[in-house]
Amino acid sequence: MHIIDRYAYTNAIRELDPAQKGGLALIAIILCLALDQPAVGVLTLGWMFALAVLWARVPALVFGRALLAEAPFLLLSLLGVALSVSLAPLAAPAVQLGPLWLGSSAESLAMATRLFTRALGCAAALNFLILTTPLLDLIELLRRLRVPETLIDLMSLTYRAIFVLLESLQRMTTAQATRLGYSGPWRAMRSAGLLGSQLFLDAYRRSQRLQMSLESRGLSGPLRVLPLDYRRDRRARWIGAALAASLLLVGAWR
Amino acid sequence: MNERQKRWLLVAVAAAVLVIVEARPAYAMHIMEGFLPPLWAAFWFIVTLPFWVLGLRQINRLIVEKPETRLLLGLAGAFTFVLSALKIPSVTGSSSHPTGTGLGTILFGPMVMSVLGTIVLLFQALLLAHGGLTTLGANAFSMAVAGPLVAWAIWKGLQDRAPLWLTVFLAAALANLSTYVVTSAQLALAYPDASGGFMGSFVKFGTIFAVTQVPLAISEGILTVLIFNALHSNAEAELRTLGVLKGA
Repeated sequence: MHIIDRYAYTNAIRELDPAQKGGLALIAIILCLALDQPAVGVLTLGWMFALAVLWARVPALVFGRALLAEAPFLLLSLLGVALSVSLAPLAAPAVQLGPLWLGSSAESLAMATRLFTRALGCAAALNFLILTTPLLDLIELLRRLRVPETLIDLMSLTYRAIFVLLESLQRMTTAQATRLGYSGPWRAMRSAGLLGSQLFLDAYRRSQRLQMSLESRGLSGPLRVLPLDYRRDRRARWIGAALAASLLLVGAWR
Repeated sequence: MNERQKRWLLVAVAAAVLVIVEARPAYAMHIMEGFLPPLWAAFWFIVTLPFWVLGLRQINRLIVEKPETRLLLGLAGAFTFVLSALKIPSVTGSSSHPTGTGLGTILFGPMVMSVLGTIVLLFQALLLAHGGLTTLGANAFSMAVAGPLVAWAIWKGLQDRAPLWLTVFLAAALANLSTYVVTSAQLALAYPDASGGFMGSFVKFGTIFAVTQVPLAISEGILTVLIFNALHSNAEAELRTLGVLKGA
């Protein structure tokens, strides 16, 4: 998670208005979902990879690793789509496993292929967005889209607190591990339980201290912070137009 | 299909399952970006919307009554997120991550959890590339609505009738399990089996994901009991302020 956050802050188009980056990702996701064809999915993947690597200068390996995060879910659920299981004998091609019949068909394989490419294309678009845009910029984008203020407030607080709590978590884990707290499954479970409770206390007390210090500085209402001055790039529009046109063309051509 | 092809198919399936079970700590099951067709994605957003509205209203009310709730809930969201990054040993020997919804529901209530859980899901999509934006409605329904409701029903229903540890265990384990069952149902609704229809597909997805999700539910149940016991002895005052334990 630190990797994604780090590149979100250090990539070459970090200063670009989040609305432009979000717009590009949204075009890709919507067209990829709506057209629902393997060629469109592959093309979206290619587009997003190129934009992230060539435009935003995110290393190709990082982009690939972020995509791999979803591999377990994707493989398991594709298995579910591609295979049919039945108690009654299935038409060929099928294998019998005890009382069960395990089979597949041309249609379900085609379905699995479509899903695979579509999910990869959409995930690539999401990854392009999160690898180039820090979460705070995305929250700022949501604020502009008139998401309720309470929600915006909770999200920015949560984001800022996550890293503080993660650091506590790591310190406590190290302390426990050096005292052999994880030398066996049961002991590891007990240590994790203790860790969870201390983490809760940490979060609770931090919120009280923060409340006190903010109140003494006159907090009354939502926490306001200034957004960054974003750069708007005219190229983003052209890229968006080219992206939409190429996806639509490939979608219509088939 | 001839003998050789059959053997290859079996080997491929077994290898895929092995890779997935052993590869990395198992996360709770979130539907990935782009996996749901547009209509189903929209459907789950509409179904979850009332819970978000109710949850947000309750949070707004709480903030007016007690202004410190704002910061407390912000930290609570971060706590739930970080808890889901905690690695715990799984009963099968590999390790897994808890969802934290059972504990969160016991501590903060189901309506608040529908909002906090959704924020956690959104952050998992945006910081871990796990889950998605178009599937947020479906994932929120299974993890931030269904799971907390089950946990709450058990927590309220069994209180003073069963030992505390059993109540906590069941609330957390069944919240986790119901999340997985609902997600399987969501996948089955979107992709019914060619011959078995919705039920066939539901059983299929349920079985495939049971390999990682059932041990995870049991682990989360045990972990939550341990956390709750530790909280009981270390943080009694805080639990009373939150209204988790009765009496002030």
